[in-house]
Amino acid sequence: MPPTAPMRHEEEMNDRAAQIFIDTYERERSTLPGADTWLARQREAARASFAEAGLPHRRLEEWKYTDLRQALEKAGVAASPVHGGAVVLPDTAVASAFASIDRHVLVFVNGRHRADMSRAVRLPKGVVLHPLVEVLPEQWAKDLIERRLDAARQSEDIVDLNTALMQDGVALRIRKGVRLDKPLHLVFLSADDGASHTRNLIRLDEGAEATIFESHVGTAAAFADIVTDISLGAAAGLSHVKLQDEAPGAIHMATLRAHLSERSRLSNFTFTLGCGVSRTQNFIRFEGEGAQAHVNGAYALKSQQHADHFCVIDHAVPGCTSHTLFKGVLDGASEGVFQGKVIVRPGAQKTDGRQMTHALLLSRDAAMNAKPELEIYADDVQCAHGSTVGELSRDAIFYLRARGIPETRARQLLVSAFLDEALDLVPHEEAREALKILAVDWFSGGRGAI
Amino acid sequence: MLEIENLHVKVDGKEILKGIDLHIRAGEFHAIMGPNGSGKSTLSYALAGREGYEITEGAVRFRGQDLTAMNVDERAAAGLFLAFQYPIEIPGVTTMTFLKTALNAQRKARGEDELDAVRFLKLVREKAKPLNVSDDMLRRALNVGFSGGEKKRAEVLQMALLEPALAVLDETDSGLDIDALKTVAAGVNALRSPERAMLVITHYQRLLDYIVPDMVHVLSGGRIVKTGGKDLAHELEKTGYAAYGADAA
Repeated sequence: MPPTAPMRHEEEMNDRAAQIFIDTYERERSTLPGADTWLARQREAARASFAEAGLPHRRLEEWKYTDLRQALEKAGVAASPVHGGAVVLPDTAVASAFASIDRHVLVFVNGRHRADMSRAVRLPKGVVLHPLVEVLPEQWAKDLIERRLDAARQSEDIVDLNTALMQDGVALRIRKGVRLDKPLHLVFLSADDGASHTRNLIRLDEGAEATIFESHVGTAAAFADIVTDISLGAAAGLSHVKLQDEAPGAIHMATLRAHLSERSRLSNFTFTLGCGVSRTQNFIRFEGEGAQAHVNGAYALKSQQHADHFCVIDHAVPGCTSHTLFKGVLDGASEGVFQGKVIVRPGAQKTDGRQMTHALLLSRDAAMNAKPELEIYADDVQCAHGSTVGELSRDAIFYLRARGIPETRARQLLVSAFLDEALDLVPHEEAREALKILAVDWFSGGRGAI
Repeated sequence: MLEIENLHVKVDGKEILKGIDLHIRAGEFHAIMGPNGSGKSTLSYALAGREGYEITEGAVRFRGQDLTAMNVDERAAAGLFLAFQYPIEIPGVTTMTFLKTALNAQRKARGEDELDAVRFLKLVREKAKPLNVSDDMLRRALNVGFSGGEKKRAEVLQMALLEPALAVLDETDSGLDIDALKTVAAGVNALRSPERAMLVITHYQRLLDYIVPDMVHVLSGGRIVKTGGKDLAHELEKTGYAAYGADAA
């Protein structure tokens, strides 16, 4: 049989998944937010690009380990219903992880903002916080949505799907020198099966500061498509913690794009407890000297979960610092992926770029794929990358047990110790402790058989 | 306290211990000496229950119970302590957390109440002081970056805190200079009591100058070939192990 035959069949099959999104767009284009603004043209262009490229699949180098096409084809991708009725957050440790922290809360159900469940009052002067639809006519929203990084085209192309179909999201603008008084907590709940497309826009003007938490939770077999566009003005500082824990049948596709001006600081942490298939993309571009980005993460996976973390740091200007550490534990038949790329453009001297990834396999059926890359076109730089995959040390377990610590507790101590090196980098103390507790919970409760 | 009868142990399919008989009563202090490869460490690991140390024949009773039927942590909770020749480094787990987890796990296994942070801290400081174990050392990851002396002092601290009925000290003198040896020996001697027994495994007689045994056994070729009083150690120092069918090492 000629080798092209099955591939053709696969492509035809997979085209159907993309077609459902395109049909949704055609059907809803006139009612999508911003239909009477500049966005309509932008959506149309995005639809055309998406229709041409289709959904990403594993024959694309940057999607080698995560076949979004196939995952969506299997899951089915009908649009999720607007959920207007009473909804309660799942009663889980993850859903309430940040509950004890004094914070503003915005809740989105099936991708739509729910004012009745949100609580963001008495914001400082100079803080503008709205559902996305309300800021669409504004120029800053347009600038953020239109801006591409282009350092990893194959991965960034999936943003077109979001641009064409985005329904809602959060728009946060903080004016010069203003500090958001307490963390802003964004809760995204998938209450029903189906697709939702969320776009978040965050702009911090010169010297502005904010802390943002994101929780992505849900029990539905949903497809959550989230794009967060961030722009940091000179010397602005953003701390950002993303926590994700969704259903085994859910697909999570999150892209964060951040443009950093001179002396700005981004401290980003991703904690993935996973779902069926998840992919978290962080694209950072330095556009002014002396800026810093800490892009770190941890993940704990079990059973059949698949989680892909993809980080691209583009040092386009001199004198910037980027540090990345991702650590994960994999149990059951789960599969982890880390792909990273640090690009140092010609002339980006005095770049300090580090990218490390370490994984711990707790089961023989778990798998990890790691691909850290450096692309360096400048000579006066400090760059390092590394990757390890290992398992718990039998000697260490024996030693702990020889002191009377039962085996399960010994393993939990070692797993927590492993993850803590990453979790210690969470940029908010109470959030850090909350995530550490989740890591212990994951081991003792939610994990699969070891 | 400990009765070992005709103990045979295989490691990687090879028989290392070929019929050990050893009885230790409460309050007694025994030393096992022997050349490299005689099976000294195998005996200590087999007692602790390490994976890969297969007991093919014989019996071990500890405080009236069948030791071989217990898993590693059950043996520890029952009062058996092995001081490691090479303590394992545990990155990311502070010495303090480790000590507290171990002590409370043992207390829980014995049906005793767990110590809270305050009571534990008081206890650990009290035990750490005579061993020159500083607060800084307690805050560091267990054994990570510890010097040879620090590792052995940390082992003795664990022993002092866990108060085992039987302590097996495997080559506790290795890697120690004379001052560190004295500190460690003083820590061990402080734990001598009529209720506690000790088994010290060593290649050299030097340690036994500081920790004086009641009985000395010579292990060679997987068997105890001679048993005597503390003077046997001095005798061995002069004659070496050659007389017992092994090369002087």
